[in-house]
Amino acid sequence: MTPRLSRRAALAGGGAAFAAGLAACAPPNPGEVNAEPTIPPADGKVHLSYWAWLKDLQNVCDVFNQSQDRIQVDATWIPGGNSGGYAKILSAIAAGGGPDIAQVELRQIPEFALAGALVDLSRYGFNEKESLFDPGAITQAKVGDTIWGVPQDTGPVATFYNRAVLEEELGLAAPATWDEFYETAGIVSEAGKMLISLDPSDGSHPIAWVMQAGANWFRPEGDGWIVDMTGDASMQVAEYWDRIFAEKLVGTGYGSFTTPWYAAAADGNVLASISGSWSDALVKTVPDGEGKWAVAPMPTWPDGYASGGHGGSAAAVSSTSQHPAEALEFLTWMCTDPAGIDAMIKHSGIGWSPAADYIGESRQQPDEFFSGQNYNEEVIVPMAEGQNLEWTWAPLMQRVQAIVGDGMTTAVTGEVPLADMFAAAQTEIVEIMRTIGLNAEEAR
Amino acid sequence: MSTAEIDTTTTGRRKPLGNAAKAARGDGRAGARDAGRKPTTTIIVTALLAIVALYFLVPVYWVVINATKSTEDLFGTSGFWFGENFQLLENMRAVLDANGGIFPRWGLNSLLYAGVGSVLATYFATAAGYALAKYRFRGRNFVYALVLGGVLVPGTAVALPLFFLFSSMGITNTYWSVLIPSLVSPFGLFLASIYASAAVPEEMLEAGRIDGVGELGLFHRLALPQLTPALVTILLFQFVAIWNNYMLPLVMLADEKLYPITLGLDNWRAQTDRLPEFYQLTIGGALLSVIPLAILILVLQRFWRGGLTEGSVKG
Amino acid sequence: MRSRTAPWVLLAPFLVLFIGTMIIPIIMAIGYSFTRVERSGLLGEGGTKSVFAGLDNYLAALTNANFIESIGRMILFGVVQVTVMIVAATILALLLESASAKWPGFFRATYFLPYGIPGVIATILWSFLYIPGLSPIVDVLAVVGIDVDFLGPSMVLWSIANIVTWTYTGYNMLIIIAQLKSIPGELYEAAKIDGATSFRVAMAIQLPLIRPALMLTIIFSIIGTLQLFAEPRLLQTMSAGITSEYTPNMSAYAFAFQYNDIGMAAAQSVIIALAAFLLSAVALGVSNWTEKRS
Repeated sequence: MTPRLSRRAALAGGGAAFAAGLAACAPPNPGEVNAEPTIPPADGKVHLSYWAWLKDLQNVCDVFNQSQDRIQVDATWIPGGNSGGYAKILSAIAAGGGPDIAQVELRQIPEFALAGALVDLSRYGFNEKESLFDPGAITQAKVGDTIWGVPQDTGPVATFYNRAVLEEELGLAAPATWDEFYETAGIVSEAGKMLISLDPSDGSHPIAWVMQAGANWFRPEGDGWIVDMTGDASMQVAEYWDRIFAEKLVGTGYGSFTTPWYAAAADGNVLASISGSWSDALVKTVPDGEGKWAVAPMPTWPDGYASGGHGGSAAAVSSTSQHPAEALEFLTWMCTDPAGIDAMIKHSGIGWSPAADYIGESRQQPDEFFSGQNYNEEVIVPMAEGQNLEWTWAPLMQRVQAIVGDGMTTAVTGEVPLADMFAAAQTEIVEIMRTIGLNAEEAR
Repeated sequence: MSTAEIDTTTTGRRKPLGNAAKAARGDGRAGARDAGRKPTTTIIVTALLAIVALYFLVPVYWVVINATKSTEDLFGTSGFWFGENFQLLENMRAVLDANGGIFPRWGLNSLLYAGVGSVLATYFATAAGYALAKYRFRGRNFVYALVLGGVLVPGTAVALPLFFLFSSMGITNTYWSVLIPSLVSPFGLFLASIYASAAVPEEMLEAGRIDGVGELGLFHRLALPQLTPALVTILLFQFVAIWNNYMLPLVMLADEKLYPITLGLDNWRAQTDRLPEFYQLTIGGALLSVIPLAILILVLQRFWRGGLTEGSVKG
Repeated sequence: MRSRTAPWVLLAPFLVLFIGTMIIPIIMAIGYSFTRVERSGLLGEGGTKSVFAGLDNYLAALTNANFIESIGRMILFGVVQVTVMIVAATILALLLESASAKWPGFFRATYFLPYGIPGVIATILWSFLYIPGLSPIVDVLAVVGIDVDFLGPSMVLWSIANIVTWTYTGYNMLIIIAQLKSIPGELYEAAKIDGATSFRVAMAIQLPLIRPALMLTIIFSIIGTLQLFAEPRLLQTMSAGITSEYTPNMSAYAFAFQYNDIGMAAAQSVIIALAAFLLSAVALGVSNWTEKRS
């Protein structure tokens, strides 16, 4: 090669790279897939990839794969959402790849939709399937009238408690109302034990509390969001817990199902956990707990709902999927067909069933560990039916949870009460929503 | 450092120059310094160094011991000694077979990224460093300043925009997305240019030119052999840098089949929360990936030393 | 080929790659950092567009308590960890070079060994030594009555510092040894004739003369500190003390891939790069200044 040419080539190469760089200088836009025509079902056989952190999900998929021969679903395990799973899904989809179906927690769905990572399922006629689902499940996958994911399990809150100690030793009962909770917690703490122990940095608890009390923190209105964290229901919850924290009636050193919690629960020093229905499997690993534990409804307010939502996931169809129709066919089976539900309970140990009228065969009988209590039908079913159906998740729940968690950490020390923190958080969240380009206002 | 100490420095530095004649007839440096050491000092210093060595070896020792255990023994027996079952071979086989033999593939990927990346990066950096050291041309200082900036900017700060750039070019989640950024070593360029200005004599190049050797030939045939110590250092430095990289492949790769060993092991470790059997896979995988590197490091550290001296003395 | 074009031919492959993988991304990051996304519809389904945001992202980043806290955390980490590591590396180098220990080759190799172990794998190894129930160290300490939670919110920063120190002390030690070896033997001879003790030799001759190597190691360590990402990110799943915005780098990563805020992520990346630049320049400046004074 002659020097002139190579020099020019070098310049041209550099120039081309430079131009490419400048062209890419606008931040990448989320996929416009929801403005494009829908993709019709394929003619031949279809392979679907499904990324999730549910264990042994392939076994569930195999039940479906063997039931028909058109759609083949392959599950791939990824780390839990906030442990790197979400970043993995989002970067893969942004790069034009990724799976057809991805596990996304219910509260994360709007955030994924905002990133342009999800297919608007309503465009594939999924609203017709809405009645197949538990209303408490499907409403959590919706923003306005649009369905963005297929609920795969939920976590209606209940009280899991050590009956042997609470009732037989201390002569108390599982609190039915929050007033009773206050009194019971006081007596338990005088006895040198803790009724519950919370990790104050975990923002999911206060959210479940206000949800039950009837607050709707994030209301879609027209083209924008109304953020309302200071309404009566929220303030009632804030003032109540400020009092609990000030009088140190509950433990705040560690959360439920952590190593120290298990140790304390085994010794009968922590007596309960007020958390999602999926807690049953975790409570069963309390050493020596068999026959001692029981399940009761979540304590209630005079007005408000029976229970709140704590955890739960959806299976969402990614915006890069070439087969949304087939993905929906599979997911409808998995999340509403009794065979799918039973397979998910058996292999993947999911939380509460998302289906309308089916809780799973294994959950319709008394449970040995919970001393023969038929807790699923007796307790969890009413909790699942008594959900706040007005609640909508906002497209920034990771940050909301972090803000609320940080706020509760300072509330526990008494620095800033929850009541003030909610007001400050409301202002901050509206600002963040505007920063990410949304139309948002504080409620008046 | 206080002024007083700096003053003694100056005197300390000046005196020996005056004494150089005296020193010149003295024996070698090591001999001179060995003389007069008390045996007690030797024992104390050796003991001290041995304790420090324990600190550096504990994690490696732990992984060797625990790679031989069953999952029950892992939790049930002391981490500092063997468990009841010795199943090193079974564990190793499980590591190599898991997921359809994905672990050997991760190893090969790492070798590909680090091997190809470091060889090409060394060649490119050396050619550029030599050009900057041996030619006077317009824009030379500008290039120098630009690359100096590149040395100081943390690589991770570049990883995110690079992802968006590659994403717009459609090459994320490919071998290229990790390989291409690995081909650049600004640090290597500096080392090469410092070394070249000292180790490649002008006269040699002039003699070559008179003999009719082309400019590229001068570099390849005359300069490169002189630069061997710098080449080894850059190669090793870049190899380790690519081998250790985590953020770049994490950002770029979604397909497990393209993972380097670091990302793959991280993926296994993340599964231990739910599936305890992954503890054994992670420990076994860590052992397998540490051993070849340890051997490589032990063998190559002598080469390393020579090269870095040049870099640090003159840099 | 004439020697006017030759340097450019030799430079070309490096420069093209350097521009493509460093300069352009940096320009892009700067570009992003001045933009903001506007979305119409509840979730942007009505379309999005980028608009010029001025310094908004920078103001937001610098008033974001978590980001500021993560920078403060890194400064604390850097001051403590880099100091401990450089002091340890210097002492080890001096001891090994003092010729008063047996088997210096073995020790040198042992100390350098961790450098060959990637940060990810080092973190995995150490995490096994941190997890209660798995760690023999926790067991041993519990026997003598010390209860430590290496992964607790107040301890975990130092547990990370330990991993970084473990990995890089030997590497820095080798750089210092290389410099020590370049000190002419006559200096030691003269000091001996003057009757100087080993300690005085170290303070008066060796330390001042290895200053360039120390500067090199300190600058690399500062840049390394600002890059801290893999270690805390891996430990995040095991420690409640590590948030998604624990270090500046983790924060930028979270804003880009979790919070849908590319502009903010870019602004944070630019701030990290500027900080690395400034800190390195300050370190170099201090070094030159003390050099001139001596």
